Amino acid sequence: MTSAAPKVALIGAGRMGAIHGRNAAANPRLDLVALVEARPDAAASLAAELGCRTATFADVLADPELAGVLIASPTSAHLDMVLAALRAGKAVFCEKPLDLELARLRDAEAELSAAAAPLYVAFNRRFDPHFQALKAKLASGAIGALETLHLISHDPAPPPPAFIPTSGGLFRDFTIHDFDMAGWLVEDMPTEVFAWAECLVDPAIAAAGDVDTARVVLRYASGQLCVISNTRRSGYGYDQRVEAYGSLGAAMAGNPRTSTVETWREAGALAAPIFASFPARYERSYRAELDHFADVLAGAAVPVTGYQASLRALILADAAGRSVSAGAPVRLERI
Amino acid sequence: MPVLALFGAGRIGAIHARNIAAHPGLRLKYVVDPVTQAAERLAAAAGARVASAEQVLADVDVAGVIVASSTDTHLEHCLSAAAAGKAIFCEKPIDLDLARARAAAPALSSARLLLGFNRRFDPQFQALKAQLDAGAVGRLETLNIISHDPAPPPIEYVKVSGGLFRDMAIHDFDTARWLLGEAPTEVFAAASCLVDPAISAAGDVDTAKILLRTASGKLCLISNSRRSGYGYDQRIEAFGAGGMVRAGNVTESALSTWSEAGAAADRFQNFFLDRYADAYRLEMDHFAEVLTGAAPRVGLDDALAALHLASAAEASARSRAPVRLSEI
Repeated sequence: MTSAAPKVALIGAGRMGAIHGRNAAANPRLDLVALVEARPDAAASLAAELGCRTATFADVLADPELAGVLIASPTSAHLDMVLAALRAGKAVFCEKPLDLELARLRDAEAELSAAAAPLYVAFNRRFDPHFQALKAKLASGAIGALETLHLISHDPAPPPPAFIPTSGGLFRDFTIHDFDMAGWLVEDMPTEVFAWAECLVDPAIAAAGDVDTARVVLRYASGQLCVISNTRRSGYGYDQRVEAYGSLGAAMAGNPRTSTVETWREAGALAAPIFASFPARYERSYRAELDHFADVLAGAAVPVTGYQASLRALILADAAGRSVSAGAPVRLERI
Repeated sequence: MPVLALFGAGRIGAIHARNIAAHPGLRLKYVVDPVTQAAERLAAAAGARVASAEQVLADVDVAGVIVASSTDTHLEHCLSAAAAGKAIFCEKPIDLDLARARAAAPALSSARLLLGFNRRFDPQFQALKAQLDAGAVGRLETLNIISHDPAPPPIEYVKVSGGLFRDMAIHDFDTARWLLGEAPTEVFAAASCLVDPAISAAGDVDTAKILLRTASGKLCLISNSRRSGYGYDQRIEAFGAGGMVRAGNVTESALSTWSEAGAAADRFQNFFLDRYADAYRLEMDHFAEVLTGAAPRVGLDDALAALHLASAAEASARSRAPVRLSEI
């Protein structure tokens, strides 16, 4: 940490807050000085670990020394905090999703677009080295023109039942990442969204009004097709793959494994398991997106994802939900 | 030794003739094909003789027939062979028209009919099915079937093929039924022509993503392309409550070559004659069992159900809406 590094504050000491806080504390290009968290015990414990002070959100906004904030509060608080921080002139790093309600997000468009300070929304998968390598193959023409895309995104185990009612549902909470990945890789907005979703994993999820298993088909004006495969429980780890099919071949990003060790016995060859959770699987992406935020703070980059990417992903999540309710594809107008 | 006749001396007919010749318990006596030259060439190679359909069916020595003629003649050959009391091994699909196939069903219901859905005999997919049956991944929840051809067929074939869903996806519909262990009740298909505009001009599509849903909520994705650009891509991923079973592509060798540029595995077996060589041989073994009294493992009901799904998928792609099987 150097004195020249811009000072930032972390909002939220939950699971994502701890990940971003540790990465920020370890990043020499950021100076993490404050933590905002309503629960005193959680605040004190994480602040002690990160070597920063605890503060209120109002303190943070009023502190002229602070250049940026990392918002990892509960999703329902994201948008208000983002707007307040931008008004205070802070550069903002906000966990996804920016908001769960399309109408609310659109209402904030004018202010978000006019803000002088930058907003990065953390679609971390764009910073995953495996997916970046795949994207580079597409860009280099290695598989010709992209025709169809498969995004396999299966969680190892469902979140606690108490999280489900506040999550916004599978599409807004979970598939939102895949909707952003589709936008990033296809570089277009679909004209049609079709989704089937079921509750196959845990009846408690259905009781909370949500689903846990889905297949989503996106169709583009070009005729390109994208399929998203989701489940809340894979039974074998965090399955995160991309299969891109082009006119000259395919590019596949598979699952990295926890080690390269294979054990060979009479029963067959057993490879090491894939990663069991997102902090481990996407560790490099979380660090890389903070580097990106440091670039943004230094004026060396504009955020790769902000309001527009959030809007596009939420439009698709909303359309997928409507498709499930209607049992029919949902056509999208040009945005 | 049971004596057989082969209808159709084309590409798939030649495979079956070769497998009959290699089978110690079967003998090929006749080859029937309106293209006399093709019939003569194959008959000579297989140690059989050229005959007409009437001669074959009148010959009491003939215990069974292989129907590997052009698709539009499958049903009539099946019907006349059934009427003559012959066991039948019919290539897929049984017909291109669901109503016609259904109308013929009563006349075929007591026939010994094996339908050539060769993937059910593929050792890779059988091993996958065995894992599912053994409960290795718990209850099956979803299924992804990837089925991409290396390169599109000649446009003349596309025109008479019955379309992507009846010609190509029909295999995957049968595989889905086989693995799901439950009938799909609803189909959604999104299809495009991305490979060759001539396919679109012929009224067909070359790229499709098909979703199937069963009454219990199982979901199945079928991915089809007429041109992969990297070989014959035939994979299955079966997701259960306790994990996943995956059958990958078979490569031409187990070789991999490592260099500064990376590690290169050998290429995928290029097309169905190579990839499913074992399956073709094993389904002929099974036909030998059928000839000696075994019940066909794939029969008329499977033929009709796959054609039903294909018709529903085509209707869905046209209407751009999901289609209930009960509506077709």
